[in-house]
Amino acid sequence: MASRAPEFSAAVPALTAERPVTWPKRTRTRLANGLEIVLAESHSIPKFHGELYLRAGNALVYDRSTGLAEMAATLVRTGTSKRASRQIEEDLRRLGADLGSSAGQDTSAIGFAGLSEFAEPLLQLVNELAREASFPENEFERERRQKLEEVKLERTSPGFLAGERLRKILFGAHPYALVSPSEAQVAAYKRDDLQTVYREIYTPENALLMLVGDFDPQAMLKTIEKIFGNWSGKKPAAKEFPAPPKPQGRRVYLVHNPGSVQTQILAGCHAITRKHPDWIQLGLANSLYGGAFNSRLVMNIREDKGYTYSPRSSVHPLRQHGYFSVSAAVRNDVVAASLTEIFYELDKLRSLPVPDAELADAQNYLTGVFSMGLATQEGLLSQFSTVELNELPADYLETYRDKVRAITSADLMATARKYFDSANMQIVVVGDRAQIQDQAALFGDLTIFDNQGNQLPG
Amino acid sequence: MSSLQIPIQHTTLKNGLRVVIAPDATAPVVTVGVYYKIGFRLEPQGRSGFAHLFEHMMFQGSENAPKMQHIKLINSSGGVLNGSTMYDVTNYYEAVPSNGLERVLWLEADRMRALKVDDENLRNQRDVVKEEVRVNVLNQPYGGFPWLDMPPVAFRNWANAHNFYGDFHDLDAADLADVQKFFKTYYLPNNAVLLMLGDVTPKDGFAFAEKYFGSIPAGAAPPFADPTEPPQTEERRGRVEEKFGTLPAMAIAYVIPTRRTPDWYAMALLDQALHGGRAGRIHRELVLEKQIAVEAEGGVDDIFGFNGPAQMTTRILHKPEYSDTATLEAFDAIIREVQQNGIPEDELQHLKVKWRSDYYSTLEGGRGGYMPRYGLMHLLACFTLFDNEPELVNSILDGFLAVKREDIQRVAKKYLLPQNRAIVFRAPVNTGLPADAGVKEAA
Repeated sequence: MASRAPEFSAAVPALTAERPVTWPKRTRTRLANGLEIVLAESHSIPKFHGELYLRAGNALVYDRSTGLAEMAATLVRTGTSKRASRQIEEDLRRLGADLGSSAGQDTSAIGFAGLSEFAEPLLQLVNELAREASFPENEFERERRQKLEEVKLERTSPGFLAGERLRKILFGAHPYALVSPSEAQVAAYKRDDLQTVYREIYTPENALLMLVGDFDPQAMLKTIEKIFGNWSGKKPAAKEFPAPPKPQGRRVYLVHNPGSVQTQILAGCHAITRKHPDWIQLGLANSLYGGAFNSRLVMNIREDKGYTYSPRSSVHPLRQHGYFSVSAAVRNDVVAASLTEIFYELDKLRSLPVPDAELADAQNYLTGVFSMGLATQEGLLSQFSTVELNELPADYLETYRDKVRAITSADLMATARKYFDSANMQIVVVGDRAQIQDQAALFGDLTIFDNQGNQLPG
Repeated sequence: MSSLQIPIQHTTLKNGLRVVIAPDATAPVVTVGVYYKIGFRLEPQGRSGFAHLFEHMMFQGSENAPKMQHIKLINSSGGVLNGSTMYDVTNYYEAVPSNGLERVLWLEADRMRALKVDDENLRNQRDVVKEEVRVNVLNQPYGGFPWLDMPPVAFRNWANAHNFYGDFHDLDAADLADVQKFFKTYYLPNNAVLLMLGDVTPKDGFAFAEKYFGSIPAGAAPPFADPTEPPQTEERRGRVEEKFGTLPAMAIAYVIPTRRTPDWYAMALLDQALHGGRAGRIHRELVLEKQIAVEAEGGVDDIFGFNGPAQMTTRILHKPEYSDTATLEAFDAIIREVQQNGIPEDELQHLKVKWRSDYYSTLEGGRGGYMPRYGLMHLLACFTLFDNEPELVNSILDGFLAVKREDIQRVAKKYLLPQNRAIVFRAPVNTGLPADAGVKEAA
């Protein structure tokens, strides 16, 4: 652990004067049909990267079935009124382009990248997918069968099983509890239902088109108006969702995965969204705890004790709620030992002030890494997307580093006490119950499930 | 023909360390890489997995930066770091705000000069590596398939055929003497290249290289085992049990031509014709059209990063109602078609557009969303260590764009042969099928 390590030599070169970090200018506008547009130049390579975001996903239609927006997104690229599936794929190749369509809880998206010389035909294809996807019957049947195999396979992945269980515990009746459909749900998917979802979600009033790359923004804006200008459609009505439960007291959920030679630990509690004023402080607290290589948790259970290869903590900002989690895949005989250290480091941040030097190191880390995205089109796109999708202030990127630097040790302790809710953490362990059940039961009332989600007798 | 030109300057220090600089001041970030010309292919016999375990040891302490200080100094400079062990090279890399450049170079020089590790460090990292193998291979559905399953089936030379992640008894047998010997043999300035990319001027970069690395003594040129394979005369097959997943899987791998030969350029484009995403013939036929497979993808992984035998590998997960035989027959039909008819001219032109576009992205691209210019660094390092010609990064594209239809058909006939391939079947213990379910033989 850090306290035991000797200090490095005085010969280490000091940091020199910092060059200013300048984010490229964004051109923001909105077409008459409601489509929001954000453009930024980046001339690193003669290409551009883009996302067409639709501000709704699986959660909006969760009362009909699980994963409907995602399945609709899968089908979006398999046929339009003008092009068959094979034509779409060959056209993408002809344009030197990559494209993916997907959906999460809060957002659906068509992401793409291609050569600048073919920007117009690629945007025409994206436009066609967003407006004229035809959901061919044979493509639907194939993708549904593919999805069935996928949902069977994911139940053999320890990481999936842990994440699915934690989300169920934290979100209860709220749609964020539903990370993946069951086989029965997939079998019951109907083509018409997907088309209905598509018509509701894929509208210009609900959409944001973001492009970063090697182009002239004014010329690009004209191209976009020409292609997307006559798209029409209303924003879907917002929905009220049931409030998530507030689990009190630590409880342990063991997912029995027979034959496991390792145990996946995942513990979590409710936190905040990215819009919350405490977000940046929580980000810093997380990076000190387990969000960086040099963090306390990694130094403790990896570099000091060798329990695990990849421990980490994360804050997950969904649109309506956020949660905090700690994960580690550990040796079967150190499940209890690892959980002890996980809670020790959480409680330490809640109890003792972070020394100034460690605080400064963490501030440098967070502000430095924040700038890495500047060097690539994809990195810029990702940062700009975060701002737009979460409706953060327009100067979020420009002021972030100063805000990180203003955080004090007292702020950090307050943040840890508020959000590292050690007493109410919900603990999931995925592994072979014969090897880990006794260890897991030391940390709270134990409930056991099989890998299909059925509760097993204790 | 290619339009994107990366400015590059390079030199060699007196101790043999090659230094390559690619300046670009757009963002105040610099990426530093040190590549050593030793990977897991040529690690010592009886020490499988050692090159990778050793890579972990390089983060455990050097003369003036004891354990944990290396990571701490990079992170607290606002930077990120990692390392990876590949077939023929091992890399260590950092991306930092450019005001931390000298600090990074000091750290890399310190661990090139002298590794300072003890038994406790070795025990600790052996445990960490075992958990890495468990999380990536032993406890995952289709873990290590096919990258760990294929070599012992396809190859006869131990260098190419052994377990690169390491058998646990070999990892246990490794001691500190092995660590220091490996370090003294291969981790030499004259067996390495230092790269600086991004916000650095060549003048400063070369001066810093001399200042921090110039006094590290050169060593004897390392001995390298011969990775040549004995001639293969028939198809090779192997079978591995799948403990978690329920779909039958197979991987088919062909040995590809030697790098930078005319056949190699053509093979790269043929690989794209076969494996280029959803438009690629293999995915299109097996997944989209015949619907035998749930997943069918692959290709040559890291085509620029090999300096020994390499393969083009297709990984297929297929529906249980199709037999292995039927699935393989459908795959073979795709291969026969391209051998008999080649590919149409327009398809070749489209493949070239896509190849050029992908190449630009490789040059710009980061790794894991946080390591800017990883791709450019990797190419420059490989072209320096294998070819002594980093400028290839600006000209190699022309070789691919010059490939003709007849070249594609020629390499299809010459290399996509049973006696040039190996097949691994990964067979689920539990297929998820009822015991009496029928199996389709006809594709």
